[in-house]
Amino acid sequence: MGVPAPAVAADGDLIAQYLAGEEQAAAELVRRHATALARYLAAQGAPDEELEDLTQEALFKAFRSLATFRGGASFRTWLLAIGGNVLKDRRRQWRRTQVVELTPDLRDPSGDPGAHAEAEWAAERLQEGIGKLARLQREVFLMRAQQGLGYEEIASGLGITEGAARVHYHHAVKRLKAWIG
Amino acid sequence: MDRMNEDRLDEALPPALDAALRALDARAAGQAARVDVDRVAARVVERLRRGDVERRRYVLGMSPAALRAAAAVVVVAAAGLVVNLAQGPRPTVALPLPAVIPAMDSLSAGQLEAVLDATAQLRAVADTATPAATGTSLDDLTEAQLQTLLASLEGAES
Repeated sequence: MGVPAPAVAADGDLIAQYLAGEEQAAAELVRRHATALARYLAAQGAPDEELEDLTQEALFKAFRSLATFRGGASFRTWLLAIGGNVLKDRRRQWRRTQVVELTPDLRDPSGDPGAHAEAEWAAERLQEGIGKLARLQREVFLMRAQQGLGYEEIASGLGITEGAARVHYHHAVKRLKAWIG
Repeated sequence: MDRMNEDRLDEALPPALDAALRALDARAAGQAARVDVDRVAARVVERLRRGDVERRRYVLGMSPAALRAAAAVVVVAAAGLVVNLAQGPRPTVALPLPAVIPAMDSLSAGQLEAVLDATAQLRAVADTATPAATGTSLDDLTEAQLQTLLASLEGAES
């Protein structure tokens, strides 16, 4: 007879614990979702050196506005939507200060030619294409194709209808397909 | 990667796009793996803790006039929310918003943020809130009562 696995608290329980004053519940939620959030932001082009700060900022904002979280979407989806907003705001700041994002070539001019393998090129090309999409197209596409979320969940997290989510995804795929060639 | 859960996808991506997405996701996962999750958790908790203290200090540091103005804004917002939630008729009593606005000049940006935070939380507690007695003016409240009102609204956040 095996040892029963320790019970894992649901996100909703941790949220309730945090709202009741338990800081460690917030820390647990961060540990649970920070990596997925960072991956989502990185796929949208968040630079390496800013990624941790962006992740922290999105999580902080999420906890600050937790009382507005209605549970229509999962905490993860809601967090990704907040992350998208944080990245958008940060991009505005970058534009104002005219920060030029370094391309991998500029970061590592003496890099191994192997770094320019086909997969890396394709990733770079796709990221560029994703950056050219309208914001909702970009977020719906990544939530669906990268994070594997359903339309209903995406729609709830982004505050749009399920039909609109499908349309945004369809247009995103069409544009990216043309971009990738 | 999560998108491998194919049964959740009702259409397949074109092969070239699918390959590019896999490559991009692998790179993003590598970047994400360099994020120190424990450090992020510690910093988020610290900022939340600091933010709570800051907001409490802003509220408690307000002058009586500022407190009165802030409380008036909160009461106006609460009345509006309760009316909206009930979908009932608009209140027939005149709400004191115009008189409040000049007094808001005495609030600092941080204090305004604290007031706005309090109003933002009202929707969450509106179900249990009861409208303030319309015969009572904020001018009738003592400073201690105003402090209590704001503290109770702040307490609704935690």
